Amino acid sequence: MTPRTLTRAAVAGFAAVALFGSAACGSGFDDSASDTKQSSGPATLQILIGSSGEAETKAVQEAAAKWASASGNTATVTPAQDLTQQLGQGLAGGTPPDVFYVDATRFADYASVGALEPYGDKISNKDDFYESLRTTFTYDGKLYCAPKDFSTLALEINTDLWAKAGLTDADVPTTWDQLTAVSQKIKAKKMVALALGDTRDRIGAFMVQNGGWLMSKDGKQPTADTPENLQALQYVKSLLANGYAKFPKQLDAGWSGEAFGRGKAVMTIEGNWIKGALQNDFPNVKYKVVPLPAGPKGQGTLSFTQCWGVAAKSKYKDQAIKFVEAMTAGDQQVTFAKAFGVMPSRQSVRDQYSTAFPADKPFIDAAAYAQGPVNAPKMDSVLRDLEAGLQGLTTGDPKTLLSNFDKNAKAALGG
Amino acid sequence: MATEALRAPATAPAKPPRRRGGGVRGNETIAGWLFVAPVIVILGLFLLLPILMALWVSLTDWNGQGSPFTGDVPFVGGDNYTRLFAEDGLDRRDFMTSIRNNMYYVGIVVPVQTALALGLALVVNNRMLKGKGFFRSAFYFPSVTSSVAISVVFLFLFANSGAVNKLLGLVGINGPEWFADSRGVLHLLLGAVGVDTPPGALTSGGPFGLTWWDWLSGPSVAMVSIISLVIWTTSGTFMLMFLAALQNVPVALDEASTLDGATRWQRFRHVTLPLIKPTMFLVLTLGLIGSWQVFDQVYVMSQGDPAKTTLTPAYLSYRTAFRDFDYGSGAAISFVLFLIIILLTLLQRRVMADRDEPRRARWWRRRVPEGS
Amino acid sequence: MAALTDRPAAPVARRADRGPHARFNRILGYAVLIAFGLVFLYPFVIQLGNALKTEPDAAANPLSPIPDPLTLAGIERIFAGTNFPLWLGNSLLVTVLVTLGRVFFDSLAGYALARLRFRGRAGLFAAIIAVMAVPGVVLLIPKFLVLKQLGLYDSYAGLVVPLLADAAGVFIMKQFFESVPVSVEEAARIDGAGVFRTFWSVVLPMARPALITLTILSFQGSWNEFPHSLVSVQDPHLFTLPRGLADLVSGSLGKGTQYPLKLGAALLATIPVAVLFVIFQRYFVRGANEGADKG
Repeated sequence: MTPRTLTRAAVAGFAAVALFGSAACGSGFDDSASDTKQSSGPATLQILIGSSGEAETKAVQEAAAKWASASGNTATVTPAQDLTQQLGQGLAGGTPPDVFYVDATRFADYASVGALEPYGDKISNKDDFYESLRTTFTYDGKLYCAPKDFSTLALEINTDLWAKAGLTDADVPTTWDQLTAVSQKIKAKKMVALALGDTRDRIGAFMVQNGGWLMSKDGKQPTADTPENLQALQYVKSLLANGYAKFPKQLDAGWSGEAFGRGKAVMTIEGNWIKGALQNDFPNVKYKVVPLPAGPKGQGTLSFTQCWGVAAKSKYKDQAIKFVEAMTAGDQQVTFAKAFGVMPSRQSVRDQYSTAFPADKPFIDAAAYAQGPVNAPKMDSVLRDLEAGLQGLTTGDPKTLLSNFDKNAKAALGG
Repeated sequence: MATEALRAPATAPAKPPRRRGGGVRGNETIAGWLFVAPVIVILGLFLLLPILMALWVSLTDWNGQGSPFTGDVPFVGGDNYTRLFAEDGLDRRDFMTSIRNNMYYVGIVVPVQTALALGLALVVNNRMLKGKGFFRSAFYFPSVTSSVAISVVFLFLFANSGAVNKLLGLVGINGPEWFADSRGVLHLLLGAVGVDTPPGALTSGGPFGLTWWDWLSGPSVAMVSIISLVIWTTSGTFMLMFLAALQNVPVALDEASTLDGATRWQRFRHVTLPLIKPTMFLVLTLGLIGSWQVFDQVYVMSQGDPAKTTLTPAYLSYRTAFRDFDYGSGAAISFVLFLIIILLTLLQRRVMADRDEPRRARWWRRRVPEGS
Repeated sequence: MAALTDRPAAPVARRADRGPHARFNRILGYAVLIAFGLVFLYPFVIQLGNALKTEPDAAANPLSPIPDPLTLAGIERIFAGTNFPLWLGNSLLVTVLVTLGRVFFDSLAGYALARLRFRGRAGLFAAIIAVMAVPGVVLLIPKFLVLKQLGLYDSYAGLVVPLLADAAGVFIMKQFFESVPVSVEEAARIDGAGVFRTFWSVVLPMARPALITLTILSFQGSWNEFPHSLVSVQDPHLFTLPRGLADLVSGSLGKGTQYPLKLGAALLATIPVAVLFVIFQRYFVRGANEGADKG
């Protein structure tokens, strides 16, 4: 381009900037969260959920419709395909949904940037929530959001295939050695023993069973690179390398539950949500739930929880909080539990749940020895790096994986 | 291209004598600017301005909350850029991994699609064959369909028990689990000749935080399936470009060399190829630009998985911004990508200009007029 | 699929075209054509076939184009279980608006750059050419930022307005107007028609081939547009077909593979462009080669 052309292009650029300046003043930079104008009266609430399947979507939609018609508001429930991304764009774009699921892993990220309305104290009887769940959703001493429910991992066994492999109730594995032994037998029958999610949220359970975990007890220091964790990963690697365990993708499935439902694996490690999904998608699968096999250091599993986040920028905060109130009421939680199998976050309905679902004993009992998620801010990319490593665990080196995690986590937490 | 464009008005045919100022053409300045105003506003507002805004954001630590143009947003200078190159950490490793993946991707896609496009064009241009029009349409059709829709089809084709593996099964090959397989193709080849564990010299160090062994992985099996998709969709477009060029090759010239006793290969090498060289460079340039931008397919098919082996800079920039709320880093990655594309384009233009100008001029002189 | 309009067939019956050697070459040529024809078209056949299969059938016989049994369950689920009709509506709206906008604005600008003499014209044209060279994917974050600042994020305006003009279209129209003889419009102007009247009622009607090319390119481009809709909206009610499809596929936990459904949805999304392609093939070809010229 000639110099003259460049000048002209620059002039055009400045003209555009000037134009933008005037346009931007119109749309305003009123982004500071606190003074979002509140609207009273009938609200149109947008609710974004990270659904575990159609069972959950339907249940939440029904509950929301009930609340809306009773309270004279409108509530639209949308299941997100990728909650993190959709929420991220919504928050950054200044148009977040009013109410949304917040995963414990991402909670600190949202709270630390002021995206969440800290409404915890406005919820009635908040001490009824399990203390560990309240702690998870507390940032800077404030309870930000009401825990939705929680769930734990257990071992699901397809009883038909189990029998087909010539196994009986006495063979249900309770230790790693037994798990290896039954896997061998199942493989001999040309079946895949275990569908295992290729994420820390499944493989991590093995670390806990061996007395390890990614983070220190107070959740501030990375502790991945330990002999315990290494041994756990080496054990998982041996399961994968021998073809005993397979990742869902290897089984042409989106997640382990689908592979399990299709009968592509005899066992899988999933949480309570698998009940609802199987009921909905694969109603004919017969299975039972047992505790995860114990590792050398005893029993171990992982627990997961989410809360009902209310956007700091919502125009209808009052109504949104009322909505959450309705969703976390004891009765409603039991209804949700029946629909998609999660466990109520309120202690007052615990017994009600246990009597309604005796078969879920392994999930509830697991709460006693479950490890909660990593919930420090800025950890997402670090955790994803770990997941990338886990996806390649079959051929990868577990030691490098763990030491990388520590290195990256230190950088993220320190920075 | 700018020079050609500037020359263009001079070639406008049959100009009437100009009457400047007043008269019929008097109001042309105002009319001219009014006519182009909508385009200027739209392109300025949604192309130029955003680039400037993103340039600013790439110098900050904006986390996606509030406006990036207030005093509250921490200004970090070139930190987002230096982190990609100079600081040992996750950011640099991810970025370099994405660069590695994309280099292998470009290294395979560009030559293969160019060769395939040229080959198809030569066959379709063969005057002895009938029904060429149909085949030309068939080869071109994938190019006009939606990248997302086509990715869906290829996800199905490359499923573990999908069509591709069924086909491989017919010839006795046990196909891989395409989208779960993070093993590098070069590593696999080395494994096949007995190099299973990497030599220590290659794992101990390497540039930019990846070991030499990592750099030399080759595209992963998962990436190979994306590569085949892209070659399949883009070859048709480039075939049309080659075809247009081939139709300008004078038939007489071809026949003359046949009479001289030149073999088919000799004719192709010494007559056809030099004549279509400008198109060849064009196809290479467009291919290079396009394949550094691969995004849709990665988004739909693999999201960077497995084990980050299908991560590309374009996708990484998107993910860093919209998933990790690190808009500064994301914007920085996209500017580095911008720079890579511009540099490669300029480089190729230079090569083209140096090597080809004289030949091209001759071609124009010799070209026989033809109603194409 | 009908054949592309061919240039006049070269005279046949040359000496080299006869004899066993030539026949062998011809057979080889056809073999190559047919083999690659299969490679390029068979995936679409598979897509159609499997969209009409049951899930177990699709999983077990992915290669077979014939559904056994034939079922419309997958197609029905597209309409019952997804927001497909909504996506379709949004895509139609966006595509129509964008196409109209591009055809109008691009030809206005193209005409001005080709015919009107005004200060800054050459510089402007150079700038537009430079803009064409900006790679689209590096604009993902920038576009999001500008839409957010202008308050257009998550709205139909955000989906449509940024696409209303494109540099390549301006270029195509400019090239075309330069090939139109000046005399016609000069006559109109001398008769007292204003610049816009001349453009609208004299020049534009002559530009039909170029307008069709541009319409088709715009339609195809905006119908298939994915990255822009990814960064301009987040509300699922504003999803266009490619965006909806992408979300359907990158699906979350529990959605399952559901290949017949996904393939069917992808097929339906492909049909409009496919129909257009069959009808207007030569304009597609011209569009591709215009693309070649501009490089």
